[in-house]
Amino acid sequence: MKLEELRAIREKSEKEMALRDGKSRIRVVVGMGTSGIAAGARETLKALLDEVAKRELRDVVVSQAGERGLSSHEPVVSVFEEGKPTVVYGSVSAELARRIVAEHLVNGNPVSGSVIEINS
Amino acid sequence: MRKEMNTQEILQRHGKGADELLGLLHELQDAHERHYLPPESLGAAAEHMGLPASEVYGVASFYTMFSLKPRGRYIVRVCQSPPCHLLGSTDVSRELVKELGVQLGETTADGMFTLEMSSCLGVCGVAPAMMINDEVYGNLTVARIGEIIDEKRSAT
Amino acid sequence: MKKRLDVLICGGGACISSQSREFKEALLAAIGEKGLAAEINVVETGCMGPCELGPVMVVYPDGSFYINLKVKDAARIVDEHFLKGRPVNDLLWLAPEARKIVEQKKQVPFFEKQKKIVLSNCGRIDPENIEEYIGQRGYEALGTVLTTMKPAEVALAVEKSGLRGRGGAGFPTGLKWKLALQNPGDRKYIICNADEGDPGAFMDRAVLEGDPHTVIEGMAIAGYAIGANKGYVYVRAEYPLAIARLEVAIRQAREMGMLGKRIFETDFEFDIEMRMGAGAFVCGEETALIASVEGKRGQPRPKPPFPAQRGLWNRPTVINNVETLATVRHIFNNGVEWFASIGTEKSKGTKVFALSGKVVNSGLVEVPMGITLGELVFDIGGGIPDGKAFKAVQTGGPSGGCIPAKFLNSPIDYESLKALGSIMGSGGLIVLDEDSCMVNMAKYFLEFSLEESCGQCAPCRIGLKHMHSLLEKITSGQGTMEDLDKLESLANTVRSTSLCGLGQAAPNPVISTLKYFRHEYIEHIQRKKCSPGVCAALYNAPCENSCPANVDAAAYISYMGDGKLMEAYFKHMEHNPFPIVCARVCPAFCEKKCARGKYDERVAIREVKRLFADWAIEQGMGFTPPKKPRKERVAIVGAGPAGLSCAFYLTRMGYLPVVFESLPVAGGMMKVGIPDYRLPKDKLEAEISVIQGAGVEIRLNSPVSSIDSLFEQGFKAVFVGTGAHQAMPLDIEGSDLPGVVSGIDFLRQVNLGQGFDVGNDVVVVGGGSTAMDAARTAKRLGAHNVRIVYRRTRNEMPAQLDEVVDAEDEGIEMDFLANPLNIVETGGKVSGIRCIKTELADFDDSGRRRPVPVAGSEYRIRANLVIPCLGQKLSLGLTGGKLNLDRRGCIAVDERTGATNVPGVFAGGDAICPSTVIESVAQGRLAAVQIDRYLGYDGKLFERERKPVLVAYDEEAYLKPLPRLKPHLERAETRISRMALEVNRGFSLTEAMEEARRCLHCDRNQPPRPESAVESAPRIEAML
Repeated sequence: MKLEELRAIREKSEKEMALRDGKSRIRVVVGMGTSGIAAGARETLKALLDEVAKRELRDVVVSQAGERGLSSHEPVVSVFEEGKPTVVYGSVSAELARRIVAEHLVNGNPVSGSVIEINS
Repeated sequence: MRKEMNTQEILQRHGKGADELLGLLHELQDAHERHYLPPESLGAAAEHMGLPASEVYGVASFYTMFSLKPRGRYIVRVCQSPPCHLLGSTDVSRELVKELGVQLGETTADGMFTLEMSSCLGVCGVAPAMMINDEVYGNLTVARIGEIIDEKRSAT
Repeated sequence: MKKRLDVLICGGGACISSQSREFKEALLAAIGEKGLAAEINVVETGCMGPCELGPVMVVYPDGSFYINLKVKDAARIVDEHFLKGRPVNDLLWLAPEARKIVEQKKQVPFFEKQKKIVLSNCGRIDPENIEEYIGQRGYEALGTVLTTMKPAEVALAVEKSGLRGRGGAGFPTGLKWKLALQNPGDRKYIICNADEGDPGAFMDRAVLEGDPHTVIEGMAIAGYAIGANKGYVYVRAEYPLAIARLEVAIRQAREMGMLGKRIFETDFEFDIEMRMGAGAFVCGEETALIASVEGKRGQPRPKPPFPAQRGLWNRPTVINNVETLATVRHIFNNGVEWFASIGTEKSKGTKVFALSGKVVNSGLVEVPMGITLGELVFDIGGGIPDGKAFKAVQTGGPSGGCIPAKFLNSPIDYESLKALGSIMGSGGLIVLDEDSCMVNMAKYFLEFSLEESCGQCAPCRIGLKHMHSLLEKITSGQGTMEDLDKLESLANTVRSTSLCGLGQAAPNPVISTLKYFRHEYIEHIQRKKCSPGVCAALYNAPCENSCPANVDAAAYISYMGDGKLMEAYFKHMEHNPFPIVCARVCPAFCEKKCARGKYDERVAIREVKRLFADWAIEQGMGFTPPKKPRKERVAIVGAGPAGLSCAFYLTRMGYLPVVFESLPVAGGMMKVGIPDYRLPKDKLEAEISVIQGAGVEIRLNSPVSSIDSLFEQGFKAVFVGTGAHQAMPLDIEGSDLPGVVSGIDFLRQVNLGQGFDVGNDVVVVGGGSTAMDAARTAKRLGAHNVRIVYRRTRNEMPAQLDEVVDAEDEGIEMDFLANPLNIVETGGKVSGIRCIKTELADFDDSGRRRPVPVAGSEYRIRANLVIPCLGQKLSLGLTGGKLNLDRRGCIAVDERTGATNVPGVFAGGDAICPSTVIESVAQGRLAAVQIDRYLGYDGKLFERERKPVLVAYDEEAYLKPLPRLKPHLERAETRISRMALEVNRGFSLTEAMEEARRCLHCDRNQPPRPESAVESAPRIEAML
């Protein structure tokens, strides 16, 4: 591995993260650290995957990450969307996860009352 | 839970350097369905490493996570850290004592559960918490403890 | 022909003025350029409505609504939306609800004051995908270091950056590397200490789980810097997920060539293995950790030699903590100067804290070094839940200490925390509130260290055991003052003689609480009391324990559950002869600690009390005077709550005391300070009659000239309960004008029936009960505009919340965060008050934020009457220079007895410290007992063994969520029209009984618990 090769990987990855290649419009990340899992993040992840599959949302990618820090609000789900601030939800139950898919991912309206962080 | 393996398979996975001893003991203990290190396991480890049995015993007895007597199939560890204590770990332990019918440090008669304490499970944000084998459960309530234990009971 | 897209651009006047025409031209040009003219229909429409957002544009068929368009946006919209079919999100209009969320949440200081470096990837990238890590500049630092720097340069750079060990002691990381590089050895090692054992800390786990590669990269850089080819991660077995993620990460790093031979095509070779701990806290100590990695018992050994000289297998070894290693790559990616610019002079960079305990937002936070404790707890942590008061933070776990409220302005860095007697430690930060017992807290941590002591050296093994048994003694009420001295000297011995750092630090929780909270130890020893209600052996129930007069609420509420009003009343009278008054005006300390509140809502103890109190008066319940009175006569000066309580309890011990009152009415502040609508005149009089009936003689209009004169009249003991009837002045220009009158003077005049012309515009200054009373009284006297000016916010108001709510309902306006500057005068009369806005800045000694004026924010309020309510002080005279005063100017007494410096003279109530009715009652009762002892008797008063009151109703039926019943209030419009109309109409008997049955009976040994109430269940024996 050379530094240039590393940079190539970085650029490719950056593109994927920034969702610029048109494959996916929205990236939904579930905090799957121990705190998240202990608070029920597995159920949340399952519900998200299920709802996204049911609605055949091909432009949504669901993935996992560690914990963001605000553990009293686990399970935490972040929605990354190009050109929009990142919206982070706290205390996401399976039901809320399904609402996020329906209201936020499909209709573009963040679910009020459960947002704990907005990052531009 | 790591995959069950027999003693020979486990020994073969480890080198003979003493620094692998703790990892080896962990695996031997996890592989035993009663979650402990019987004399045979200690003997096998000593032989594999080329160490005196007394030294292996000395190491195993030093660390609180190794048990030299049989334990349950499920090790239930209640977190005792200040945040958990603050948010009701006393009630969690009391409920577990009631639910399992054993005191702390004891194993149920059917060999299913051992109830233990942990100084801190490191999940303070979802206190009170407990760990059953490798799985951590947070934001516990009395009702949930019953559900979780029932789930484990019916899983076997 | 129908085109593919219809674009409607607003041509309304407002949009045209914000250049919608220019935008349209640009859009058409861009459409032409892309050759889309045939597919897209651009139309100018009439006004679409949201003019303030113009120019606006709608695209059909999908209905995308663009706002605030600029000429430069045109090309992008055509390119992205019209050509590629992807609406440009940042120009789109969000539904109002969604916008609101976005705007609000940006203001949350939880995120604003944080600076994420170490945690920047946690929660964002997939930890099991090395490419995502590389996408965040992963392994770039390693590549740069290996290809452009020499090992010594790497160590030097880290030294210059100012990075210090994040695991506890704060040793400079670069220096550690330099030493290891210089020390000779055929092999060297780097160890990552991930044996995160401090209870309450979990940042290492979060980093290993969320961003494992950052640790691997840090280790490889460290390995290169010291000349090591092998690294070990020593991780707790309690963290299976961290172990699994790290395993994956190490494998991927090897596959990618970031570990192994010829990394970045250089000669550098490095690999990492994991070693699991097995539950021994002492293994966090570096020499013990090395022993454990070697496969031995994890016991520490003396230093020197230091690990950098002789560590793992006697080779030079560097041990760094997870967070330290996770910081390293950022220093090389962003530069040494960048890193050194963050933090304080001696503590650089950021630190991750695990915020937990009694704080609204708990979790991991990363902040620049040097942020103050107050910012961390209140801005980021969101403050203390349930309106409770902050008491202390505990940092550094079992090796650290407690820091009290007066240091909230202290910056957080290694040196400052050490100077305060605590340590940074690994970053655990537990917030403690008023409900925490510091003695118990110290005991908890000592227990931890005792259990985790490896037993190798005697000071730690035996010394801690002795310390623990002394603490056991103290928390169970058996301790003596000698025990306290013993504890202290033992703590110092263990600190100076233990073998390793853990033993030396183990006494810290005790030493720091002795330093800042000695009074709590003394309370446990001398008064056998644990005010926060934690040490189970020292109290019966939280309600009873938190009442200043120890009124047994647990007992009378139990009686009320079965409708036993008489029993409830007489139980109450044993500790407080003013149930009618306290049912109406007490701040109800009992309710604040009610355990039911942790389940659903606190029991409405005060309203339940009111029912039996009123009933007993109607029934003519009372007491008879002593049949064979004692011959000694006792004089009481002042017929307020303290004096009358003292007098009442003296009758219960056989005296016939005489109360001297200078006013023409009895009751003191209860009479002249509290308006009729809160405490009706006849009710107060009835309650005082009960006391008179018990054998108390009250002489009205009888000022006492001197204490000596009382002794001359033959009295053998004197109780001084003269109150504090002199107002603290509002010290600003114009405050001597007519039309400026203090709250207590105003209320006295009205309550004595002398009337008051309040005019139309009244301004009240202050936020306490007197301010509320004055404002509400002025409203009732006919003032149209009544406004309260208070320098802090509604949350900080000392008045009780229900008073504030009632005042607001009655139409009283409140200016928060404002302070008066001067009174405005017109023709010798008050015509207004000039104020300045304030903002809450740093913290005062009590842990409250200090209001500071905002420059240029002066404003004026119209007023013909200004009522300052800024507290009151004692009016001297009676003391005749004989009684000692304290530094506040109150009569100095021995808190344990109420005795003054003059033999036979006792004091209580506002005269010794401005306080509430119930505190005055407690002081009066205490003095009665002490007077009896002073006069040579036993001081016995209602003493018998306490047994929990058993109840007959079906308790199980109340162990489900049940809301707290609310008393009936008169309508606001009705009540402001009549001064004497009592606002609160209380409960019916059925309601009072139902409410009483919500009691959880904490005074029994094994309280029945509501189902599924763990996180909220009463924690009688809880530690904090």
